[in-house]
Amino acid sequence: MKSHLVKINLNGVEREGLCESRTTLLDFIRHDLGATGTHAGCEHGVCGACTVEVDQQIIRSCLMFACQADGSSVNTVEGIAKSGDMSDLQNAFKKHHALQCGFCTSGFLISADDLLKKNPNPTETEVREGLSGNLCRCTGYVGIIEAVLEVASTRARKIGGEHA
Amino acid sequence: MKSAPFAMHQVNSQLEILNLLDQYGEDARIIAGGQTLLPVLAMRVASPDHLIDINKVVELKNISLSDGLLQVGAGVRQAELENWSGLHKAQPLLGMMFPWIAHTPIRNRGTVCGSIAHADPSAELVLALAVLEGSVILVSKKKRRIVKAKDFFVGALQTSRQSNELIEAVQFPICNPEAGFGFSEYGYRHGDFAVVAVAAIKQGDSWTIGFGGIDDVAQTYQCVASSLNEVNQFIDDLAAAVEVREDPTATSGLRRHLMRSLGKRACQQAIDFKSDGIR
Repeated sequence: MKSHLVKINLNGVEREGLCESRTTLLDFIRHDLGATGTHAGCEHGVCGACTVEVDQQIIRSCLMFACQADGSSVNTVEGIAKSGDMSDLQNAFKKHHALQCGFCTSGFLISADDLLKKNPNPTETEVREGLSGNLCRCTGYVGIIEAVLEVASTRARKIGGEHA
Repeated sequence: MKSAPFAMHQVNSQLEILNLLDQYGEDARIIAGGQTLLPVLAMRVASPDHLIDINKVVELKNISLSDGLLQVGAGVRQAELENWSGLHKAQPLLGMMFPWIAHTPIRNRGTVCGSIAHADPSAELVLALAVLEGSVILVSKKKRRIVKAKDFFVGALQTSRQSNELIEAVQFPICNPEAGFGFSEYGYRHGDFAVVAVAAIKQGDSWTIGFGGIDDVAQTYQCVASSLNEVNQFIDDLAAAVEVREDPTATSGLRRHLMRSLGKRACQQAIDFKSDGIR
């Protein structure tokens, strides 16, 4: 039944695989392409653990079929930083204890990255609203929000410095 | 949580959609954003043999304004309408509702018409179409018809769409510049389904107040009131009198309370409404 040849650009690399119609983008990138950084949580669009970026828009990868993503550009947590490095957001998550078990973290990082692209200087309320589609069941949200706010202010200072 | 097998038809034109609907009828479902359909398939509440993917049909991706109507095609994503520059002038009530609809990743993919097609009685867009007295354009291979919201929504998750019909677009009347709008909602978590949602429209002393989540379909009521006190009294009487559903998420008593408190909040917003002051 694997009848669809799906080609995507995954974190800058052209990848392809055969899958069934019913294979979600989430299962395709995890099982067929081996990119297991994106996590399968509730698999019905509630928890946000599987959030990825498809053609510059964040979406739930459990709520899209892989064959619908053919020809798209998909960015996942593996593409956030160069191998062996961590992005500023990842470092801030570490510093602020914004993760414990880490299951929700890849989804939070993708959502937070998108939030800061669209709104580089968010208020705490805007961060809370922007991340409201992601659930964390162990650490809680305080550290996550502190991490995102710190990255926003650090990036703003850097840009300010460049123009000074 | 995996869908049962199905055949996927990825089409490029409306004609192909209508031919497939004509051929498969009940055995086929349209998939646009899929934000409601995929959970339904994953939980196997439905297991159609055929899915017709309309995401590549360019002719369905239009947002247009004509003849006093804001028309939104079947392929238009919620985030596209939310971020469309003309929205707040054309129909500010929709702009007020969007932040309440699920979350950014869902609105990035979910479509306006998809939400209408699903006809959840607590969905914001369903309430919008009902309270604004909008319409749904249905097309089949044989005919095209325009159905008013009150005739389209016939029950919880039930519509008058025939199995060979495609929702081509929905139409919201463009707002009267003199009108005031208010919207308020309560859910257990931001972005969750509303326990009760209220939309209020004020045109002079004429009020239209719509409630989502209280019954199998969104309910709208009209009254004439010259002050906030008068409209509040109308809402108090209404909350005491109408049939209100009771389910594991909320008692009818809680829903009646929410009708009163959120209703008053929405009406106050409609009185204070400034057409250029809404974000």
